[in-house]
Amino acid sequence: MTEGTVTGSLVSPGLAIPAGRRQDRVRFQRSSIPLLLPATILLVVLFLGPVAYSFYYGFTNLELIGPTATHYQFTGLTNFNQMVSDPIFGQSLYLTAFFVVGSGVIGATGIGLMLAIAMQSSLAVVRILIGALVVVCFMLPPITVAMVWYAASTAGGTLTTLFGSPSSDFLHSFPMVLVGAANTWSLAGLAMLLFAAALRNIPREVVESAELESATAVQRFFRITLPLLKPTILTTVLLMTLLSLANFTIVYIMTAGGPGTETMILPVYSYQQAFQFNHLAYGALIGDAMVLLATVVSFFYVRVSRARV
Amino acid sequence: MATRTVVLPGMTEGKALIPVRPRRVTSTRAISNGVLVVLGVLFITPLLWLIFASIDSNAGPTVRFPNLTFGNFTAAATSVNMQALLNSLYISAIATVVSTVPAALMAYVFSRRHIPWKGPLLLFILMLAGVPVSILVVPLYQVFADHNWLSLLPASIFLGVTSMPFEIWIIKNFIDAVPNDLDEAARLEQATTMQIMMRVVLPLALPGIAAAAIFGFINAWGNFLVPLVLISSSGQQPSPVAIFGFFGGNVIRYGQIAAYSIMYSLPVVILYVGMSRAFRGGFVLGGAVRG
Repeated sequence: MTEGTVTGSLVSPGLAIPAGRRQDRVRFQRSSIPLLLPATILLVVLFLGPVAYSFYYGFTNLELIGPTATHYQFTGLTNFNQMVSDPIFGQSLYLTAFFVVGSGVIGATGIGLMLAIAMQSSLAVVRILIGALVVVCFMLPPITVAMVWYAASTAGGTLTTLFGSPSSDFLHSFPMVLVGAANTWSLAGLAMLLFAAALRNIPREVVESAELESATAVQRFFRITLPLLKPTILTTVLLMTLLSLANFTIVYIMTAGGPGTETMILPVYSYQQAFQFNHLAYGALIGDAMVLLATVVSFFYVRVSRARV
Repeated sequence: MATRTVVLPGMTEGKALIPVRPRRVTSTRAISNGVLVVLGVLFITPLLWLIFASIDSNAGPTVRFPNLTFGNFTAAATSVNMQALLNSLYISAIATVVSTVPAALMAYVFSRRHIPWKGPLLLFILMLAGVPVSILVVPLYQVFADHNWLSLLPASIFLGVTSMPFEIWIIKNFIDAVPNDLDEAARLEQATTMQIMMRVVLPLALPGIAAAAIFGFINAWGNFLVPLVLISSSGQQPSPVAIFGFFGGNVIRYGQIAAYSIMYSLPVVILYVGMSRAFRGGFVLGGAVRG
């Protein structure tokens, strides 16, 4: 019986369908509002608000100190033109891409994959020990990672003594390689966990049937394992990209963007411009560029994860 | 042939002898173990330095056999440093509460109720989780400075908000795993929404909420940039900023830095282990629903 139809002869007057809201569809309930309110207010005021402000400030002449600290004005595209013609900004973009792709995508994902695959056919002792070790490296807070790698690569450090001379400063000569290595070292554990979980989900029958067809280990890896891992590889790559993009602490502590501007990835450049050179507006604009970059990557990550379900 | 005793399924008493076949040494296994050992050495070297330097009285930046001492730990435990650790605790605790409680409430609504454009909203929230926090400090500094909010509490609240999107996602997925039948059964018993949420759903989703809370805590504990920028008084700074301060002096006392870093990093490692336990135990609902 659809709503609104009442056959007078069959239904007694007392059962007339009341007018008003449909009861057959799911509706938004008013009682949800107080539950949603705290999170919504906090997110809008302290997350979306700053993002919007960042875009606004990026087009003003706001400085940290000085006359324009309090009386700043909208300056239109001045900062934007400065950014486009700024060689350091271009270098920063390139360095960020190199850092993210090199140490995050290739480095962390690759090593994580290597570890997960090797752990499949190794002794239990080795697997447990090395697995725990790599995961502990992932668990360390960023400042500890930065400090440990600073000590390893500065003058007199472990790497310097092993591969160079005790007086050379690797952090000075190969800064990008070292911050990349530190980033990979800290993220590989996560990649390994993700791949290990995915490898466990590969059905045994597929692998066994390949073994019965006398496929070599190499063939099994490239023809069976790798294609089945493709979705996981994709999500892991995107996750590593996001985590590497967000990386400020490791690079700032180890090199502060230097020597010169050799490791000036975007987050460090934004901080330097805003808080060391007092150009809050320009720093905000650099931050806006980062937000756009991260949004694009985030968007792909979400698309890919949803498609996999 | 070597044998070992074992109890086979179906045996009611006694034990059986079965032969032990040694695992074959194949080239795959040899290469795998070799790769793992090599990578293991590469990964452990910086950690070894950390541990050795903390118990070495003459610590330098290289890995060397330590002159054993606990002096670094006692020297690092100055009142300033302990205050910094305490600040880290305050900041992380406040951030965890600020992020987890609203996230749990919102996740309940997203999981159980209808919201217009729920799908796109969820995707949007997940995308927020990917925004790098470093860009938010620039405008936030300006706003906080104007209102005289450059202190521990506002910075902690902000830190909590940065963890919120991912926490909402985690908790929502855990609440999804709690069957709707339980809600309906409670509703039949004339429970109000509050009662259903607090007595039925959230207790069952507690492992997920705990995991999300731990995630928020670890995020706040490890954050360096936000306290650096948004807290102006050095007495309110947390440990990361304190460690950064150690590098400024003329003499870098590696031993003490290493000891302090271990003190600072240990809670996080312990919490991570706890979080993985919570995740693993999360999907057992004790057979609350039949069939």
